[in-house]
Amino acid sequence: MGDDLDPTILGPSCLRISKGKEMHGRLGSRLVKELASGEKGQLTHFNDELLNEVIKECSENFLALQSLIRKMQEEGLDFQTTRNADHYGALINHLSLIRNKRCLMAYVYNRAEMIQNLAWTVGLRLFELPEEIQEKLSHLEKDYFKRHSAALESYMSKVDLNLNVDMVPPKDPYIKVRVLDDLGEGIVVSDKAANFARHSMHFLKRTDAEPYISRGLMEELTG
Amino acid sequence: MNDTSSRNGKYFDIDEILIEEELVPVVFHKSANGVKVDPSAEKDCVDEGAKVELPFWLSQELYLRQAVSINVPACFNQKTRREIQADAANVDLRSRCPYFYEFGCKIAPIVGDRTIGKMLLSTFQMRYKDILTKAHTAAYAVASKFLAVLTKEETNLYEAAQSSMAAFKKWRIGGPRIQRASVLGRKRKPID
Repeated sequence: MGDDLDPTILGPSCLRISKGKEMHGRLGSRLVKELASGEKGQLTHFNDELLNEVIKECSENFLALQSLIRKMQEEGLDFQTTRNADHYGALINHLSLIRNKRCLMAYVYNRAEMIQNLAWTVGLRLFELPEEIQEKLSHLEKDYFKRHSAALESYMSKVDLNLNVDMVPPKDPYIKVRVLDDLGEGIVVSDKAANFARHSMHFLKRTDAEPYISRGLMEELTG
Repeated sequence: MNDTSSRNGKYFDIDEILIEEELVPVVFHKSANGVKVDPSAEKDCVDEGAKVELPFWLSQELYLRQAVSINVPACFNQKTRREIQADAANVDLRSRCPYFYEFGCKIAPIVGDRTIGKMLLSTFQMRYKDILTKAHTAAYAVASKFLAVLTKEETNLYEAAQSSMAAFKKWRIGGPRIQRASVLGRKRKPID
């Protein structure tokens, strides 16, 4: 939030704060509650509307803060040292703004972490993510996902190592899997085309099967 | 302005933010203009002597500047304490405060009530065993009723107990190494 605005350019109308039932500074926590209410580590729909409302409230706090400081300056008071009602009003507006900012940051940051996680565990391409996940991302988040994937990919090709596979070496390079979804024909694994009809079972190279398993399209059969 | 939470690296922590959203009853020693804090005030200001409930993040900062004095929040009052003494395991702490322990730790030093710390410890000691036992034994139908009275911290403990047992069983019996990515959730498309 900028602090370089000249307070003199704002008229006295800024003293008016929009009326609302709830006190300011508490809206941001609703965004954070949304993060907490879902199942752990899982995305919810990006809440554009609430995010913008919080940003709007931040601007309101900022304007109120500025006009209070301006009022003090007009009265010839030193706003650094004066401790009057205007000072405490400005302080509360400042703290509310900082609080909402923290909530906004936490919302975006925690979601970004989950999105990175998607690239590592599900797939590096956006189309590889299930549709219900794609819907939940905002435009900027999709962009973030693509760029993170691209960075990861270029690093992996540089070190010539596939980093998003299982870290524990398999006992057997081949595993038995069952197909859980109708994947149809036309999928080529290890240069062989196979018909992955639903419920069909296959004997696949572990590394070929892994991406399908982590996307929930196949399951490993043991025993 | 100092932000204590950014210093200990919990700036983005969801729980940390929500703990500080808990309400604290305060009394204003100064008046403040241009704020929507006091719901009973007609104008956008708060008067000296006003009694208001403010979230912890605001109360703490105002307290440090001697603008307010802080009273003990209702969740740590004598009534709750008596209930805890009578039957700690069955007190619905969640509805009183979802972060009963963490919030208690934050509020104790600023309300100057030395008994809070002791009360938190003894409450946790009395409930701890019950939580761990139920994590392993309670049937699903009973568990959801039991879970409803646990605080967030206790729920984490309950889940940790269950997942460590599940991990132990998996280690003993074995099973598939790779599974559906947890970010996708447990929901599966119905098999038709």
